Amino acid sequence: MYISAASTVSHQPTFQNDGFSKVIEPLGESSELISPNYKEYIDAGLLRRMSKILRMSVTAAKDCLQQADVEQPDAIVVGTGLGCLHDTEKFLNNFLTIEGLLPPTSFIQSTHNTIAGQISLSIGNHGYNMTHTQNTLSFEHALIDGALLLGEGNSHILTGAADEYIEFLDEAAAQLHPRPKLNLTSGASFFVLSGEKSEKSVARIQDVQVAGLVQDADAAIGTFLSDNFLNVSEVDLILYADFNAGTSKESVAYEYFNAHYHADSKLINYTKLSGLYPTNSAFAAHYAADRIKHHPELKNVLILNGLNKDNLGLTLIQSLEA
Amino acid sequence: MAVRITGLGIVSAIGLTVAENLYALQNSKSGIEPVQFLETGKDYLVGEVKCSNEELVDRLGVRSKPVSRTSLLGLAAAREAWGNNRHASEIRTGIISATSVGGMDKTEKFYRYYLDRNHPDFNVLKCHDSGNTTERIAAELGISGYINTLSTACSSGANAIMLGARLIEQGKLDRVLVGGTDALTNFTLNGFRSLMIYDDQWCRPFDESRSGLNLGEGAAFLLLESDKSARLTGNTTICSLKGWANAADAYHQTASSPDGKGATMAIQNAIDKSGFNALDISYVNAHGTGTKNNDLSESVAMLNIFGDNIPEFSSTKPFTGHTLAAAGAIEAVYSVLAIQNGLIYPNLNYQNPIAETGLVPSTELRKGQPVLAVLSNSFGFGGNNSSLVFAVNK
Repeated sequence: MYISAASTVSHQPTFQNDGFSKVIEPLGESSELISPNYKEYIDAGLLRRMSKILRMSVTAAKDCLQQADVEQPDAIVVGTGLGCLHDTEKFLNNFLTIEGLLPPTSFIQSTHNTIAGQISLSIGNHGYNMTHTQNTLSFEHALIDGALLLGEGNSHILTGAADEYIEFLDEAAAQLHPRPKLNLTSGASFFVLSGEKSEKSVARIQDVQVAGLVQDADAAIGTFLSDNFLNVSEVDLILYADFNAGTSKESVAYEYFNAHYHADSKLINYTKLSGLYPTNSAFAAHYAADRIKHHPELKNVLILNGLNKDNLGLTLIQSLEA
Repeated sequence: MAVRITGLGIVSAIGLTVAENLYALQNSKSGIEPVQFLETGKDYLVGEVKCSNEELVDRLGVRSKPVSRTSLLGLAAAREAWGNNRHASEIRTGIISATSVGGMDKTEKFYRYYLDRNHPDFNVLKCHDSGNTTERIAAELGISGYINTLSTACSSGANAIMLGARLIEQGKLDRVLVGGTDALTNFTLNGFRSLMIYDDQWCRPFDESRSGLNLGEGAAFLLLESDKSARLTGNTTICSLKGWANAADAYHQTASSPDGKGATMAIQNAIDKSGFNALDISYVNAHGTGTKNNDLSESVAMLNIFGDNIPEFSSTKPFTGHTLAAAGAIEAVYSVLAIQNGLIYPNLNYQNPIAETGLVPSTELRKGQPVLAVLSNSFGFGGNNSSLVFAVNK
């Protein structure tokens, strides 16, 4: 399947910034979300009620559709690891502290499918509408669903992923993973995936595989490469994420590609660029597409998502020439 | 092509097994009662699974903690559906579950302690995320690889079944355990109360006097197999999943459109996919929550599709309560049981038709019916509408 357009709202200058992959640097500890002018994309009345994750998602989705010149996609497929955390926490607070009548808005907007639902509402889309939530593999599952939809004869699928940071996460992370301090962020990336190559095509997603509760990550990577008729040396760039963001020692990618094959110059830890959120492999997919667009000599880019040590996501993005 | 259904598992307010659920359905025994297991401080009518967390842990022999009630209910149903099946390298096997609350039953307790600064146990947050709910079930059953969770509010369970069928249809998996699970929580109880659609009497789907839903909890799973898988496992096919469709209403975040657009599209497309026509549908297991809005919208959709030839239909939510993400899966199991046993279930608590549409659901249990094809509807928040068509395997 082909990426016809991509749009990302993140802590990096990714939004409507073609070529961002050439200029961004690893995030510092105190980065903030770079918010587009949401009012250009969302009606002011709706915007007022929307949490960060909804604003980011609807904006990235609409930008992406505009770029692709697609008015109505055949389907909307969203992945989210933790869903609408802001409204979830707000409603928890409300019902635990308020006696009597509760305002329903935060409950309504707490469900994971609010993201895909708000996108469908904002563009009046009646197609297939789906929300995948498999923690760090939510985006990969959304991509796999997108590929199924194209296989069923659809033309253009809006697929993306989003997660939002709330302050509470810092406290939870400090309690559960005292070290290293995690750089928790927000992000939303959306893509128009198309079955046919066109003048809008940026890159091709050749394959996506998920290995939940993975026993042997090396074997899974080896199978993935051989399924795609690739030698390790033919992978031009490896974008990886690891649970132990700081140390390369326990890194699946490091062990497989560096320790065994001495390919470290090709390795980029994308969590350092995007910050940590469960669906940051979607950021990596946009990063890969942007790199390929400006460096067509990059033929094969592998996204190796090992953010959760039990789950492995593998996505192969190729240049159109590959 | 058809997707074979070879295993069923269910826990709900009317029983901890398929057999117990079938018995209650055949005897018009509702499981909706004043709340007794969840600490609410109120006297709400709910469809609880009649089993405490401790009993569930004991029954299931779950050792590692923390574990959410959502996972425990799901595991009970998934184990029954999986039965004595074995893993085999030539049968690519996955699991897709659906949940709307995930580990919220644990998180909301945690959060109360957290707000009170009363030694909250952050460790329970490890089972908060919905994906974890499914991973726990997968780990207990030894399933790895394709493990996925869907969350589309009240249509989640139906979507899990549909996704499993699509993965089999395109040859990505040979066998997949599909279903949904949701525990009753204060979060959802308070949520539906804040929307003013919680009935403090028994819910009355499709009745003119209906005034809301009763929440329930539970889980159900179905084992789907391709022809190849069924040949290798030797499992008997109970019936087939023939049609499925998902459409967005795109009308309002919580309300359904008065013209039933999304619902009509989901039903029509599912029937088209099945290869049947509307007249072939023997029975409709309706979404029928008992809210003013849903039941009217769904009735209009049924009139749009069936015109003057409305098949037998009923909502089984007066038995179980509305089990949210589990509902589509629980009602899928009931649909399969309807075909298997020639049954049409009564729509309990019904008295008078909705004035605008005049539709009359089935009110008495019917036995010995030729139930050849069943339509099951699941419509949810966010305009997520899904329909499934089950049929005798030919």
